[in-house]
Amino acid sequence: MNIPVTPGDLLAIGPISVMFAGALVVLLAESIFRNGEAWNRWLALAGFLAAGTVAFLNTGWSGVAFGGTVATGGFANYCAIVYASAGALSVLLSTDYLRKTGIAFGEYYALLMIAVLGMMLMGAALDLVVFFLGLETMSIAFYVLAAFARSQGTSNESGLKYFLLGAFATGFLLYGIALVYGTTGTTSIPLIRDKAPSLIGTPVFTIGLALILIGLLFKIAAVPFHMWAPDVYEGAPTPVSGFMATGGKAAAFAAFLVLFRPEVLGGEKGLRDVIAVVAAASMIFGNVVAIAQSSIKRMLAYSSIAHAGYILVGVVAANATGANGVLFYLMAYTVMNIGAFGVLAMVENGAGENLHFEDYAGLSAQAPVLSLMMALFMFSLAGVPPFAGFFGKYYVFAGAIQAGYTWLAIVGVLMSVVSAYYYLRLVVMMYFTAASASPRRVGKSSAGLLALGIAVAALVYLGLFPSTIIDVTSRFF
Amino acid sequence: MSVPLPYYLGLSAVLFAIGVIGVLTRRNVIVVFMSIELMLNSVNLTLVAYSSFLGDVSGQALVFFVMAVAAAEAAVGLALVIALFRNKQTVNIDQINILKW
Amino acid sequence: METFDIIFYLFALITVGSACIVVFSKNIVYAAFSLLFTFFGVAGLYVLLQADFLAVTQVLVYVGGILTLLLFGVMLTNKVISVDMKTGTLHAVPAMILAAVVFGSLAGLFYATWSGVTAPASSIISTARPIGEMLMTGYALPFEVASVILLVAMIGAAFMARRPKKL
Repeated sequence: MNIPVTPGDLLAIGPISVMFAGALVVLLAESIFRNGEAWNRWLALAGFLAAGTVAFLNTGWSGVAFGGTVATGGFANYCAIVYASAGALSVLLSTDYLRKTGIAFGEYYALLMIAVLGMMLMGAALDLVVFFLGLETMSIAFYVLAAFARSQGTSNESGLKYFLLGAFATGFLLYGIALVYGTTGTTSIPLIRDKAPSLIGTPVFTIGLALILIGLLFKIAAVPFHMWAPDVYEGAPTPVSGFMATGGKAAAFAAFLVLFRPEVLGGEKGLRDVIAVVAAASMIFGNVVAIAQSSIKRMLAYSSIAHAGYILVGVVAANATGANGVLFYLMAYTVMNIGAFGVLAMVENGAGENLHFEDYAGLSAQAPVLSLMMALFMFSLAGVPPFAGFFGKYYVFAGAIQAGYTWLAIVGVLMSVVSAYYYLRLVVMMYFTAASASPRRVGKSSAGLLALGIAVAALVYLGLFPSTIIDVTSRFF
Repeated sequence: MSVPLPYYLGLSAVLFAIGVIGVLTRRNVIVVFMSIELMLNSVNLTLVAYSSFLGDVSGQALVFFVMAVAAAEAAVGLALVIALFRNKQTVNIDQINILKW
Repeated sequence: METFDIIFYLFALITVGSACIVVFSKNIVYAAFSLLFTFFGVAGLYVLLQADFLAVTQVLVYVGGILTLLLFGVMLTNKVISVDMKTGTLHAVPAMILAAVVFGSLAGLFYATWSGVTAPASSIISTARPIGEMLMTGYALPFEVASVILLVAMIGAAFMARRPKKL
């Protein structure tokens, strides 16, 4: 029982320690400097880059720290890179947006960094307690970030709605943890995994897993636990929506891969079929409802429900191809979706307007670079080769077919075709529709353009050389 | 110790159900929040019952963390309620309808 | 029936009864005050389960902290004198039936799985020491993360509740 904790443990969980130190520095800078916000954006960016670098340098090995409650290196660090890139891109895209909407407060960056810290813990957790606390750290930061435009009714509502439903889902998740603890007598995930084969078929254990599943499905906004997503994403400040839809989702999927390993999911046939049905329902519902939207922000929210469905297909597969696909998809989705929300944030004006399809009419003449990048993000979200989004779908569907879930892959492919309709509708709007009479001012932010440029470069690179990531991730399974 | 374990577990299941009913049926945000606290209390009771039955203290340590999280959630939740109330002067869910519920 | 059983049923009755008042009362102040009794009832059950440290923490954190906070919320968001403090309900019947069926069957399942199992009389005199040791060894990381959660809650609550100032 006596596990000494050494400073070496803090070094071993490098990215997490860097995030925490960074958040403290940002908070201090906010209170020391007069224009704390201006300092903080660079400090936060440096923090995310440092955490990403530390994680990148240590992906080659893997181990445990803090007495086996947290994993280091390997899988955990790959996830940390995804979250750190989401954080860094969000910082670059936020600075201009915060200024024009009048919410340029330094706390924003501290909350972003603490949210990323929570995500990293979820990806690294080897103990249900660590997993739960990571999830809550992320969630509480998200509740505040969603409501960050505190004098705007919509943002307040968005935060409160997310909070109430999130706390409700936490109740189910915790009840599930309690039942799993009761049947296995431990909170350690590897020990639970070892005991799982002998507990398959025990109703209380299965119910416990199902309740944990509900908590996670809520976080990824899968049908039928999706009802919060469109409202929250629409009401929250646009860069925050992009961050929640990518980083938050990626963290929950990392937890999926840790908790529902093949040895657990393979035995729980019923649970696995339930996840398959949820995945199919999410793909169908998200894509069909997205067609009917007139607001692009809301359309992206429904599309994020659909993408949660695609990624779940990889979880259902419960084999190496599927798991690699999930990890690749998370990286691709993070880049392209933050990019799409980033373009939205740049076109949006200070009063929260210019978010509808008709506002994008003839945008290509006015902002050719921005329109081109938005078009590329849309192609990638639709899964057009050779962009990263295509290979993400390819790997998860291939995994599902290997695992015998061919029907699920067919649903996925059909729904991707449906999704092309509304993604391409935006492209048509930007390129082939005459501009409306009222002139619209498109924000010029060099930091934002830099972030979008990086995102586009990553999309194309990952689309042309998907093996750079697959080679790394295939070592984890 | 003559009370069997399922009595405690059943009691906490009942408490959890009452909390769920409260969340699903009440309109006042603060009452919804109280119902969520009931759910967390029921989870804690389950954990303590298991912990005592297993003779393993780690379940009780988990309860300790749940309490810390509940306190943090309470603080943030009420701050959100107050920020919303300042803008809209209501705490009823169905009057909060800029975005559809 | 032994004294111990009677005490258990008494606390169970207090807990469930006051929880029902929390959920079904039309008056939000009554709801907040009966939540107090639920918290005390649960604390009593912790004592029966020999979780002395948690029983004390329950009273301190839930009653001393969370309930006080909730009462502040009630008072700040209701004009106590002018506005009536009644709160309505929505789609009550289906929700109740659903919850009752689901968790009723869960309770039955517990009985089927562990019927007759009683908690062993543990040799632990006080749980404060083992919990403390646990927090400093096996659960050292969660313990530190809990501090991060409280930090983010402080930042968030202070930020949200502060009156907006123009830039």
